[in-house]
Amino acid sequence: MKLTCTQENFKKAVFNSERMVSRQNTLPILNNILFETENGGLKLSATNLEIGVSVQIGAKIEEEGKITIPAKLISNFVNNLPAGENISLEVIDQSLKIKSGSSKAVIKGLSAEDFPLIPKKQTDFILNIPSLKLKNIISKVITCVAFNETRQELTGVNLVLKEKEILFAATDSFRLVESSLKLEEVNVSSVYKEFLEKKNTFIIPANTFVELARIISSDIESDIKIVFEEGQVFFEIDGTDVVSRLINGKYPDYKHIVPVEFKTRIVGEKNIFQGALKMSSVFSSGKTNEVVLKIDAEENKLLIEARSVEVGENSSELTVDIVGSSQEVVFNSKYLLDGINTVMTSKVAILMNNASSPVAIKEIDEKTGEVLEGYVYIVMPIKN
Amino acid sequence: MTNEELWRAALGEIELSISKANFITWFKNTSILSNNDGRVIIGVPNGFAKEWLENKYNLYILKALRNIQPSIKEVSCAIGSEKENAFRENQVDAIIPPKRVVFEKPPVEKNFQISQENNLNPKYIFENFIVGSSNELARAACYAVSQNLGRIYNPLFIYGGVGLGKTHLLQSIGNEILKKNPSKKVKYITSERFTNELIDSIRTQKINEFKEHYQKIDLLIIDDVQFLSGKEKTQEEFFHIFNYLYQLNKQIVLSSDRAPKAIPTLEERLRSRFEGGMIADVSKADFETRMAILSKKAVDEGLTISTTALDFIAQNITHNIRELEGALNRVIVSSQLTNREPTLDYVSALLSDIIASGKKKGITHKHIIDAVSSFYDIDTADLIMKNRKKEVVKPRQVAMYLMRSELQYSYPGIGEKLGGRDHTTAIHAYDKISKELEFNKKLLEDVASIKEQLYNIS
Repeated sequence: MKLTCTQENFKKAVFNSERMVSRQNTLPILNNILFETENGGLKLSATNLEIGVSVQIGAKIEEEGKITIPAKLISNFVNNLPAGENISLEVIDQSLKIKSGSSKAVIKGLSAEDFPLIPKKQTDFILNIPSLKLKNIISKVITCVAFNETRQELTGVNLVLKEKEILFAATDSFRLVESSLKLEEVNVSSVYKEFLEKKNTFIIPANTFVELARIISSDIESDIKIVFEEGQVFFEIDGTDVVSRLINGKYPDYKHIVPVEFKTRIVGEKNIFQGALKMSSVFSSGKTNEVVLKIDAEENKLLIEARSVEVGENSSELTVDIVGSSQEVVFNSKYLLDGINTVMTSKVAILMNNASSPVAIKEIDEKTGEVLEGYVYIVMPIKN
Repeated sequence: MTNEELWRAALGEIELSISKANFITWFKNTSILSNNDGRVIIGVPNGFAKEWLENKYNLYILKALRNIQPSIKEVSCAIGSEKENAFRENQVDAIIPPKRVVFEKPPVEKNFQISQENNLNPKYIFENFIVGSSNELARAACYAVSQNLGRIYNPLFIYGGVGLGKTHLLQSIGNEILKKNPSKKVKYITSERFTNELIDSIRTQKINEFKEHYQKIDLLIIDDVQFLSGKEKTQEEFFHIFNYLYQLNKQIVLSSDRAPKAIPTLEERLRSRFEGGMIADVSKADFETRMAILSKKAVDEGLTISTTALDFIAQNITHNIRELEGALNRVIVSSQLTNREPTLDYVSALLSDIIASGKKKGITHKHIIDAVSSFYDIDTADLIMKNRKKEVVKPRQVAMYLMRSELQYSYPGIGEKLGGRDHTTAIHAYDKISKELEFNKKLLEDVASIKEQLYNIS
């Protein structure tokens, strides 16, 4: 293998694939990145056998070939390269010779023959989602994913493909988030409807989404193509292919938990809520981080109180817009704050019925001031 | 051959031809999903394994399978080996309300907190100490000391085996004093902690503060002084503190598991001082005392239990009051949990293992001979040989006694084990020692410590 490519491309490719490298050491070659020439370019691949990533970059090929190189080593080397100069790579025996400007390195590698084969998709992509939209949704739902291994299905994000929308949901059994993506915003292939009829719910591991969000660059809008196959899901964005296993199992039903109607609605500035909740969480006691929200409908005031036996107490009074009846509800401040943090609009709506039924957090349209549907964060109050 | 067996056999063969890391990585969680007309479908957990097995290991797998079933022609893989987690249809809801955890501080039980300053546990008082013939002298001495601090019986030395109430008595003195006059300075400390404090003070160069602290004390109670043995520097420091307090007529109370004479490597000047005051022993509680303790505790705990059941416990647990209380606690808890009347049958079933474990299993006459000969410092051969030297005769009789009392050996058996003696010799020895134990304190202690050794070492 002998080739030349730009440093910028190479760095990005190494960065995107390096993260995927396995932490477990049963198979040493999983610590490596595979470098191979393919279709007149250079392809970098890495996998931990749950997720696999291949990044294709343009390169001037002089000689075909492939090799695997320890990911940590190459990424540390590349990170410290002075910017600008092009990179030339050459495989000599079992080593990769890298040259960029005045810097040179020879890195010992392992044979590419032993590198796992990254699964390739058999069917055509069925979805084409604007990357920033997806990134946005991922950042919203990922907070609620459970890390508890005992319920495998909760360690992923549940996708429900429907005729008019795609639903993304996550829960750790204490709170739940659901975000919908209207199908008008998505390009679907002609076989989408047929596809739905076979299977329309998939659980994607949270890690896969985290990595995907990292790969999606936040300043360039592009498209992510998606297709689901037996037991796995394939993504493609700007020459980067990601394949991941799907989580086996049935996602719990959650629709009946989301209330349809609410007795009380509070609307206020997101940052005011955040400030008051952060402050009170300092005082909230014990494991449950209890804070009390006292909603006074007549005075249009919201009182957030926290007290602990050891520390002391705190209360803040917020002026908010209240519609409906007065309430007094106890929350875990962390869960409430997480919900408010994920809201992307400058105002937030908190909707509730009583002290023991689910409470919803929703976004508010910046212009009209209406409560936006399409995103809901549900949290259970603490029972008295 | 089922698919499972087939696959297990094939895996066994594959394992030999590839590296362990590869085997674990690629063949974990695989299985044969179907095997029809020579076509085998292998279930794999993910796409990576599918690719790898189909493209790299296909030949290995096919070869291994054909060795077992030559009819197999083709192997392919499919993802999803795990049977879809046998659907838990009545699943938990997606979200459940968090429960409020109430953090109430436990009500402060003043009575049962060990005071930091004097280390006394308030639950040990004279009022709840059960007096029997085995401990009445010790109790009377302690009570007298508590009424006339430093004026009579100084120092007071209490000794006796484990779990017989020494600590209870000692702490009762302290609590009694504090009850009468809370301004008195009382210090209860085990000799082990005393040693540690001393070492700490030497290390931090605060030895003078350490001494001053102890010299201000009105009543110093040191528990388990036998642990001072062999610690020369501690003994020396203790000697000075002891002298100082003694001069000022401050009360000192000591306890040990044996008499001062029997504590090895205790400095002579300390020993003579320990013996200079009053020595009282606590011996094993007799049956009546044990019954009294049990019935008092049963009343305190509000347990209704028949006398026969109590009788059973008292009969069977004889060594140690602590064990006795433990046994009763077990009965209480268990009968509360199962909601059953603690009848005799119930109690005996419940305590069977405690009672059985009281005696260590696997002790034989050899252990007894070893323990006896090492205690009397004679050769085991002498013990068995035919001779009637005075220094051997007594130990031999003790050995016979122990074989009878501890192991329930037959008299002829005992005679045979000890050099083929006649069974009448064994009978005589047993009777003689049993009688002598009733009045000879020294012999009683000897036998007790042999037994202790016997049950501790083996």
